[in-house]
Amino acid sequence: MPREAEPSLSEKQFVLQALQENLRLDGREFDQYRPLELTFGDQYGVADVTLGKTRVLAKASAEVTVPYADRPLDGIFTIATELSPMTAPSFEVNRPTETEVLLSRLLEKTIRRSGALDTESLCLVAGQKCWSVRVDVHVLSHGGNLIDAACLAVVASLRHFRKPDTSIEGGVLTVYTPAEREPVPLSWLHSPFCVTWSFFGEEGEIAVLDATWLEEQVRVASCTISLNRHGEICQIAKLGGTPVEAVALLQCTSVALTKAKEFSALVDRKLAEDLKRRDKGGLMAELKAENDR
Amino acid sequence: MTATTAPEAALGVLPRADGSARYSHAGYTVTASVNGPIEAQRRDEHPYEAHVDVIVRPAAGVGGTRERHLESLLQSSLSQLILVKNFPRCLIQIVLQIEDSPENDYANTKLVQASLNFGIMPALFQTSVLALLSAAVPMRATATATAVAIVLQDGTRKKVIDPSPREIEAAKSVHVLAFTSRDELLLAESEGDFTVREWDEVCEIAERVCCRSTVTKEGIEMMLDDEVADGPDTRHFLRSAVEDKVAADLHWK
Repeated sequence: MPREAEPSLSEKQFVLQALQENLRLDGREFDQYRPLELTFGDQYGVADVTLGKTRVLAKASAEVTVPYADRPLDGIFTIATELSPMTAPSFEVNRPTETEVLLSRLLEKTIRRSGALDTESLCLVAGQKCWSVRVDVHVLSHGGNLIDAACLAVVASLRHFRKPDTSIEGGVLTVYTPAEREPVPLSWLHSPFCVTWSFFGEEGEIAVLDATWLEEQVRVASCTISLNRHGEICQIAKLGGTPVEAVALLQCTSVALTKAKEFSALVDRKLAEDLKRRDKGGLMAELKAENDR
Repeated sequence: MTATTAPEAALGVLPRADGSARYSHAGYTVTASVNGPIEAQRRDEHPYEAHVDVIVRPAAGVGGTRERHLESLLQSSLSQLILVKNFPRCLIQIVLQIEDSPENDYANTKLVQASLNFGIMPALFQTSVLALLSAAVPMRATATATAVAIVLQDGTRKKVIDPSPREIEAAKSVHVLAFTSRDELLLAESEGDFTVREWDEVCEIAERVCCRSTVTKEGIEMMLDDEVADGPDTRHFLRSAVEDKVAADLHWK
């Protein structure tokens, strides 16, 4: 596979000098995201996020399996991130690159380990049957800031997803098909979002949000902050060799909180719109089997 | 979702690939990207012709032998279309990402191991041809594919064009046929029990779907009256999708 073409020296200089003069190549502010679009598919659990030239599709699915022997009371939750040559021809099938490893690790830390999905609620019969929820992240096009877009797509798809309804009567487990009973949503605890800062300059003094692919190739360090709209930080990953001042990082975190609130509001709004679109004739409330809390 | 929706297509949807297309029909949505001709790996390099690499990625779960089978079918028929001799030692890479496929509401699916069937083949085929056109890869001809299932209904064998997952499950046999724009048979794959006569009938139906000609008379395109819409007119659709894209791209002229 051909290697990805690196930007030329003059191209790098141009980007850096522009940043030093407080300018970005696409005319954005330093703390401004590219236009963000979120759409849901016809099926439950399909979310398509477009962030400038970056496009990520996430699809959630569930099936009944046997739980792990050491965790009999927990369901299984996996996030699969495999970058295909569709992203860029330099990616190969079945050979993970650094980008892919970083992406899957950050998503793992942000969504899985922060306990966003209650895995105990996925247990059906202790030690014997549980739900296995799987999210497939498909990166259709990589235009920079893959992590934020992928995280948003995964969170949106899981919140949109509905798993088949089940019931246990006299020790007999029944899984109802979508034709028999309306599927039920997952037990979702909080929605974490990733906000990635990129640092430029000798001492990393210029901090920029939502870097494009070109900017990502020029940056000296990056910092991914994962937090939910209540300001609870799930993880901070500071990558790249150049050290960044602690005060600057504190500032970055406070901006990240406002961005996380924006993302949260966007996902809530889009989910409500989608619900309205599906709820034709207002029959959804009657189809629901679950009780209001 | 109804299975009888009109096909939809968009070309050049991905900014970084050489060519790309998104096609949706009968509940299936597929996005394809084409990169090529690019440098081939040593193991794929052929001294006289380009290597065509087809990758089918299911929407959920990991691909298995079924996907590899579909890939090999697509690979062999697409390398017949592409002028591979023009690009020795090169690679033409086609990645097909399935976004949406109709689900069987009456059964809970096993998802970790994705298993595709022939129902998706027409969508995969049309998308890859559109993406190849969008990438301006030289081709001998374009081609269209269709799937036909023979379903046992009330004691009679009925032929269904673009069958739904439920119909495929109940079908006696499923057939995929592709025809080039010169009405030549390009691909014929079948699954299940059928007789030679049935296959002939299926072939006839598929030919009618794929090769329905819009006869040009003095510059006016006319549809033949006796062939009223059974199944979409795929070839005409392919043509108009590309025409629209070209018209939009050359708008400044």
